[in-house]
Amino acid sequence: MCFKTLPVEFDATGNAVLRGGIPNPYDVTTTMPDVGMSEDERSARIEALVARNGHIKDLNMDPVTRIAGALAVHVTADLEKGAYLDSHSQATLFRGYEVILMGRDPRDAIFVSSRACGVCGGVHAHAAAYAIEQAMGIKPPPLGTVVRNMTEAAEMGYDNPLHLYLLAGPDYSESVIKSSNPELWPKAEAWKCRNEHIHGFRTMADLMTALNPLTGALYREGLDFTRLSREMVVILTGKYPHPENVVPGGVSTTLTLQTLNEYHSKLGKIFDYAQRMMAVWDDIPEFFYEADERYQFVGYRPTNQIDPGYWDDPYSYDATYENCNTWGEKRWSTPGVVLDGELVTTRLTDINIGLEEFVEHSYYEESRTSRYDSDPLGNPISPYHPWNKRTLPMPGGRDWKEKYTWATAPRWDRQVVEAGCYSRLLVTAKAQKMPASDFISATGSSMRLLVPKGEVGEREVEWRVPERWNALERNRGRAYHYLFSQLVALENLFEAYKLFQQGERRVAALNPSELEKAIPKDERRSVGWWGAGRGWLTHHLVMDNGKITNYQIVTPSTINASPRDPWGQPGAYEEAVMNTPIIEDLSDPASFTSIDMLRAIRSFDPCMPCTTHVYTGDGEVTREVNTCSCGGD
Amino acid sequence: MAERATTEQRLTPAQELLELLGPVDTFHDTTHLGAFGMPSGAMTGDMLEPVAGATGATRFGPLEKVHAFWFAGMSCDGCSVAATGATTPTVESLMLGAHPGVPRVILHHPVLNMESGPYYLQPAEEAIAGTLDAPYVVILEGSIADETVASKLGGYWSATGEEPWGPGGELRPVSSTEWIARLAPNAAAMIAIGTCATWGGIPSAEGNPTGAMSLMDFLGKDYQSVLGVPVVNIPGCPPIGDNFTETVAAVLYFLQGFGPLPEFDELGRPAWLFGETVHRRCVRGAYYEEGAFATEFGDPECLVEIGCWGPVVNCNITSRGMINGVGGCMNAGGACIGCTMPGFPDKFTPFYSRPPGSLASTTVARMVGSVIRPLRKFSNNNLNREVRWDRQDAMPSAFSREKTEPSALSHTGHKFYDRVRRRSDTARRDAEVWGKRPDESPSGGSPRGDRANI
Repeated sequence: MCFKTLPVEFDATGNAVLRGGIPNPYDVTTTMPDVGMSEDERSARIEALVARNGHIKDLNMDPVTRIAGALAVHVTADLEKGAYLDSHSQATLFRGYEVILMGRDPRDAIFVSSRACGVCGGVHAHAAAYAIEQAMGIKPPPLGTVVRNMTEAAEMGYDNPLHLYLLAGPDYSESVIKSSNPELWPKAEAWKCRNEHIHGFRTMADLMTALNPLTGALYREGLDFTRLSREMVVILTGKYPHPENVVPGGVSTTLTLQTLNEYHSKLGKIFDYAQRMMAVWDDIPEFFYEADERYQFVGYRPTNQIDPGYWDDPYSYDATYENCNTWGEKRWSTPGVVLDGELVTTRLTDINIGLEEFVEHSYYEESRTSRYDSDPLGNPISPYHPWNKRTLPMPGGRDWKEKYTWATAPRWDRQVVEAGCYSRLLVTAKAQKMPASDFISATGSSMRLLVPKGEVGEREVEWRVPERWNALERNRGRAYHYLFSQLVALENLFEAYKLFQQGERRVAALNPSELEKAIPKDERRSVGWWGAGRGWLTHHLVMDNGKITNYQIVTPSTINASPRDPWGQPGAYEEAVMNTPIIEDLSDPASFTSIDMLRAIRSFDPCMPCTTHVYTGDGEVTREVNTCSCGGD
Repeated sequence: MAERATTEQRLTPAQELLELLGPVDTFHDTTHLGAFGMPSGAMTGDMLEPVAGATGATRFGPLEKVHAFWFAGMSCDGCSVAATGATTPTVESLMLGAHPGVPRVILHHPVLNMESGPYYLQPAEEAIAGTLDAPYVVILEGSIADETVASKLGGYWSATGEEPWGPGGELRPVSSTEWIARLAPNAAAMIAIGTCATWGGIPSAEGNPTGAMSLMDFLGKDYQSVLGVPVVNIPGCPPIGDNFTETVAAVLYFLQGFGPLPEFDELGRPAWLFGETVHRRCVRGAYYEEGAFATEFGDPECLVEIGCWGPVVNCNITSRGMINGVGGCMNAGGACIGCTMPGFPDKFTPFYSRPPGSLASTTVARMVGSVIRPLRKFSNNNLNREVRWDRQDAMPSAFSREKTEPSALSHTGHKFYDRVRRRSDTARRDAEVWGKRPDESPSGGSPRGDRANI
């Protein structure tokens, strides 16, 4: 029984049906999730504290730097108790890609939607291709799927070090520790790194120096490795971040043995580096936990995560919605939803029908319609489902009780879920359904990964599902995901060599004129389930008479940066910030940098081009209560 | 006459916006901010000073440093990503002043900087107030949204930071568009990176809801920086990182007095990078010449008939590669969709279909190619043989198929070809070679007696 809020049940054959006897089952006042603290309770609590406490600050950090794109985060901080009482995540950018796509030829969707985000290369282009293929019934040849997997695994090879060393890394560097957490520096100097034999840094202080922005050895090495992985991608795609090789039904890459060999030689340099990366990001959490237990709660959220899976089995993927549960579960990274640490489903249809997107606090007009009441298989869907959603932008003033962001609030089963590349490890580990591999295995509570020998020897490593998901565990997970993705790259490269051995060269199902003829005249609906550097990515497509009539994109950062929903549940960033203790030195309130919040936010690897804003005004809440979270703007 | 005068005086979109919003003279009061958003206790530029700062002896020109404000309008951050991929030079080497003679670039970039919130925007405030300690350039990625529409609704499309510019000094989100409008008049240069900023790109495509436009359109044709430079455009979606960093470096070489004045074309593109069509240096261009065209995705031949616009698109990716010399659209098998062009995307859709104009030229190329290809194959066969094999009538490769020796006809043809080739060879003239033993017989194998003809 995977749904606990939505009134959806399953019959004997596994088809979803709405529980009978509920009028307007999807009405937001009929079907409500359990909400911890309501918005009114939260406001009342803050107002009570403000009334007797002068240490409450209302600040907006705008912009939050070292993330991708435009994010601001507003916080109400209690500097005496060291707590963030409230937080609002604001996406401060709207570009209208969905709107631009509507009314176009479906062949435009790949290259136009690719431009939705230039941070991870090619992810939107691929999601669009999957959506078109499903709508038009085009199944790519195995080599086409293998090339896509190789491309998108190499893409993660760029994305993970970029985040760990350019974006998040500096928050743990000497330059920040000495300034924001000076009490930690002597501890770091005394702390012997457990993984010195792998990464070469004797003490945590040495390691932190190497994390310094632009000058630190780890920072520079990370940047160089992002370039190496991008080279691997462009061998296949021509261009980065927007690929030039994605076509409906496969790829247009001219694949020669040289292509595979160059990819192989570059990939070969990565595994030694992956060992160092995991060693660094294993030592950092251990140091922080030992230095202060409260770091367990920086960025903490319950284990509620969602992922649609990534990297297809070239022989199972058939581009149909009908068989999506079968081919979905054969992905290298298993699709699934984890609520309170329990895996509730691995079926793509469940993942799809549980999805809703709300705009109560976003700069859009009400977007739901009741055009469809079920998916193509007859499973019920909500009026808030992306297939029923319209994009009606309406810029307006900012009001924490009304509208304050360009991000929407996607929910699954009306629960606040989180997306991340680490969600792939979590779901895959728990599901134990991944393809057999010499390098990767899922144990139910961990992923075992064999790092092939490079210049240093082979080593088996294990990533265990963390007890608490916090900022440090997100970063650690990302380091292990780096290895996971590069092993997927290796497995798919081997598959490409195997197909070459068999004489297989076909990379696309149709040629351009066949493609044109394949555009259907009737109405079609489809969804491309794919992944990005931050996890989840879906494109929901509706086309009619050969024209795109609706196009809806849900990105991982839309999920994570989401504002409150109709029931006042904060989005993942907001929740993580409110759970974050303020550990930095507050003996002088003027020295408050909000580093703990920044670590929490950055651990999600926010990517706002696809989606937020922390607000720092200057005032004491006692004076500004009417312009902050505690009152209407 | 009166109407014409009005047209001439029409305000640029930038001027219109500034007229709507009015002048500003107050900025964040940082005394109230404390250290909020300054986790490293210092601005990124100051942190790097010990490494990046130059002494009088190590700088060759008048400039020690230049500020570069990077703003993202309606962007996907793909240009930032492309710039971080650049290798000649790298962004980090420019920031560290690691090139002899080049002033160090103090980059204010949201993806790279340590400071967040109001501190991040403090140098931009100083630039507007005229108190910044060095000249500045502004780099825009992404298109300019028409914020006059959004601000009438009390909102914005694309914002970066807040300033106390609301009624009564209240903080309000400041659109990237407004920052650009306020920074442009005193900038040393305005640089648009990527097709959104240079020509509007995808956000300004047909059906867009935001009125998006390019930097050039926003600032108008009379815009000149304080150095007299109109908007510099480095297009591409994404652009090649090196095209951007190299252009920045070239401008800095010039400003320091040792580089030539970089040449820009009539659209403000670096002429030495965008003067040629991408087809002219395309790795597949010769297939076009021989009339050989790809029909399936993945084929190795020229991609024109499966949707490539390369012959009419200004770009250098096939010769420069995408990153570190690797990649390139057609190099990998991707057809050119015109992403560097002002007409992108709407003049290139639907994708994956051949440009109508290619029909005439591919037909001609097929005709010419049907003659050229067999001739080239004929010569190629000859050149694939050692002289020794010709003499011995044998080619010893174990890879060879059964019939490897040329037919009598080909043999005669090749001999004739060699004769023609050697017409101007002065080695055939009469003069006694006396510094070695006289030629008795050709070395190696049994003589076929025609060595003189080789």
